[in-house]
Amino acid sequence: MDTFKSLVVILMSSVLVNNYVLNRFLGICPFLGVSKKLNQAVGMGISVIFVMLVATAVTWPIQTFILEKFGLEYTQTIVFILIIAALVQFIEIVLKKFIPSLHKSLGVYLPLITTNCAVLGVTINNILDGYNFVESMVSSLGCGLGFLLAMVIFSGVRSLINESKIPQALRGLPVTLIAASFVSMAFFGFAGIVDNLFA
Amino acid sequence: MKKNITSILALTVICSVVAVLLAVTNAITAPIIEKNAAAAADEALLVVLPEGEGFTPVDLTTYELPATVTEAFTENNGGVVVKLKTSGYGSDMVVMVGIKADGSVSGAVCLSSNETLGYEKTYGESTVGMTADTIDSLDTIAGATKTTEAYKNAVKDALNTAVILGGGSVDIRDEAQILADNLSAALPAGEGAFEKVFITEVLTDVSAVYKATNGSGYVFVSGETFVGTDAQGTVVSQVDATLSATIAANAQLIINSELTEVDLSGYEMPKQIEKAYTTATGNYVFELKAAGFGINGDEYYYPSGEHIKIKMSLTADGTIIYCETTYQNESEGIGSACADEAFYSQFNGKTAETYGDIDAIAGATITTNGYKTAVSKTFEAIKILKGEV
Amino acid sequence: MNKESNMTVLLKGILRENPVFVLILGTCPTLATTTTVKGAFAMGLAAAAVLICSNAVVSLLRKIIPDSMRIPCYIVIIAGFVTIVQMIMHAFLPELYELLGVYLALITVNCIILGRAEMFAGKNTVGKSILDGIGMGLGFTIAMLAMATIREVFGAGTFFGIEIPFLSTHTIDILIKAPGGLMVYGLLIAVVNIITKGKAIKKKEFSCAGCPSAGICNGGCATAEKEAE
Repeated sequence: MDTFKSLVVILMSSVLVNNYVLNRFLGICPFLGVSKKLNQAVGMGISVIFVMLVATAVTWPIQTFILEKFGLEYTQTIVFILIIAALVQFIEIVLKKFIPSLHKSLGVYLPLITTNCAVLGVTINNILDGYNFVESMVSSLGCGLGFLLAMVIFSGVRSLINESKIPQALRGLPVTLIAASFVSMAFFGFAGIVDNLFA
Repeated sequence: MKKNITSILALTVICSVVAVLLAVTNAITAPIIEKNAAAAADEALLVVLPEGEGFTPVDLTTYELPATVTEAFTENNGGVVVKLKTSGYGSDMVVMVGIKADGSVSGAVCLSSNETLGYEKTYGESTVGMTADTIDSLDTIAGATKTTEAYKNAVKDALNTAVILGGGSVDIRDEAQILADNLSAALPAGEGAFEKVFITEVLTDVSAVYKATNGSGYVFVSGETFVGTDAQGTVVSQVDATLSATIAANAQLIINSELTEVDLSGYEMPKQIEKAYTTATGNYVFELKAAGFGINGDEYYYPSGEHIKIKMSLTADGTIIYCETTYQNESEGIGSACADEAFYSQFNGKTAETYGDIDAIAGATITTNGYKTAVSKTFEAIKILKGEV
Repeated sequence: MNKESNMTVLLKGILRENPVFVLILGTCPTLATTTTVKGAFAMGLAAAAVLICSNAVVSLLRKIIPDSMRIPCYIVIIAGFVTIVQMIMHAFLPELYELLGVYLALITVNCIILGRAEMFAGKNTVGKSILDGIGMGLGFTIAMLAMATIREVFGAGTFFGIEIPFLSTHTIDILIKAPGGLMVYGLLIAVVNIITKGKAIKKKEFSCAGCPSAGICNGGCATAEKEAE
């Protein structure tokens, strides 16, 4: 029961409190770039969850059973980024060949994810936080869900911006960032919710 | 095909060159990083042992140390730093203690705690300069007894650890453990399971009696000596003849003690008296309730208040033989001290004239007064039962 | 692009093509590490060091690296330099290393560096690439410092850790939190928009066309946008 509890805490805190996009600023590029339309946002979000989970499932054992065993921790960054890049390519090829329908909906987002710092960030953070394999997977799932949530909410906000009159200097990115700031503020309300979840 | 091969070759070469470069940088920086980490770790320890240098961690498995010790470090000048985990008032406290080569505390800090009153933040300062011999004289803080007591015990454990690491030997058993060991030594047949006997008879030279829960016999505490008897009261421990005879006589009193309940319906008893018994030897035993904190005065009760339950035995002329708190729900760490033997055993041997002389519980005047009032009613109750009132 | 004088190459990164405020690159460290001036300064210098080195090496190897394999090669080179910078900082500047944490490793995926490798160093001589690296690195550091100064002075009432009288007792806490970062960033871009009106590269929307990683993702972003419509 305690393990279950701690897993729920990890999940909830990475979705709501330490939201990767709105609190840690990881993956902010696609957050700003691909959130103009709801279906785009959902497609990107699901792709990120998928890649995060696969990347964690591969990098955690590699870190634990190869890098740490042979004292090669210092190659962590380079190994992880290569694994993620290769994985993304691999997933794309597999999807294209075996599940073309899924490839059609997610495939276009996959190449973007290689340089998405949220994916590298989550794999490194899982190691830094000392999570075991299950906790790492849960934390990755949480981060991915948090990303999806932020994307979906923000795409709604942006559709409103498009219909508003905005001063010249603020048009485009500035107003988008300011809107993101308000969404981020809303997420502040979640702080403390996780600590008191079981209290 | 050729293009593929060159591509793969180029990537492989770049990867290998980068890998070599990384290995070289790592070889240069790794020792420095390690040194920095060691220095940073030392710095944390210097807080409690400012003059320390060159700390080395102690392998805890090679020594028999107090159970609270989680980490220990020795230092070049003979000093020791010990980290301990102990439980204070409802939470765990992590305490770090530095001890100089001369065996005195150089500093103590609480690294993490969840205590309510905050005394753990400052109490460490009062332990500075204490040694294994003087630590017992350190006062705990009234109102934060649990916290400061735990802290003090942690510092004491740390001092003992320093002695053990220095090659000395210390009795690291706590009081309960010492008692259990003594009981088992006096009556091995008891298999380590004993309960305290509620004494209803006037015993000679005996301060406490324990009964083996498996019915194999009794252990009598006479001064510092633990004497075992079998279930029939025959002394089984090796003691001198005089003591043996005394204990045997006491044992007969305990074994033959029999309580007869008195029907109180015919008497107008003080409301504190719940049950009364007489013994074959003419002593009285009472079960009482005392108004604790949250129960105000004689008449008015707060809904949250609960009574303290007391069991007492007295001789017919009104001398208290034995007093024991059987139940209490007083404020934790304050009034709850009424359940400590140190408190209630003060009443033993007292009479109607002297029962007021006991030491009150610090910070718990209401509890103490309620307790005393209930005790005083037993003297009255005996007179009523004897028909003198 | 080859016609640009060395001076232009060096200076364009500071304002006209400022990577943070105009090219909108490297947003993640810009927002995350600008809560303190110290952190921003360290991040700026670390990223600049990686940028200069990777620019130099990428441009040196631009004829050797096969086109189809260039992105993985760039990533390996960049990740290599990031790790070296990481190790050196860990050894000699442990305090800053702790301060930057995971964001130091994330320089690897900072699109300024990959973007410059792809946009500039892969096509230009070593000398110019280094100048470009210095200019962009400087621009990045200056932008980081500008943001961090605003956030630390008004959010925490300190500058480089030194307390400022009055301000330290009248702080706007939100500025050093996440929403404050986004807001200050948005406003600063607006200010730069006004200053450089007409002179800066036109960048109306944050979209794929202007993204330096466009080449990397094979127009994935643009395709995605089209699909969505």
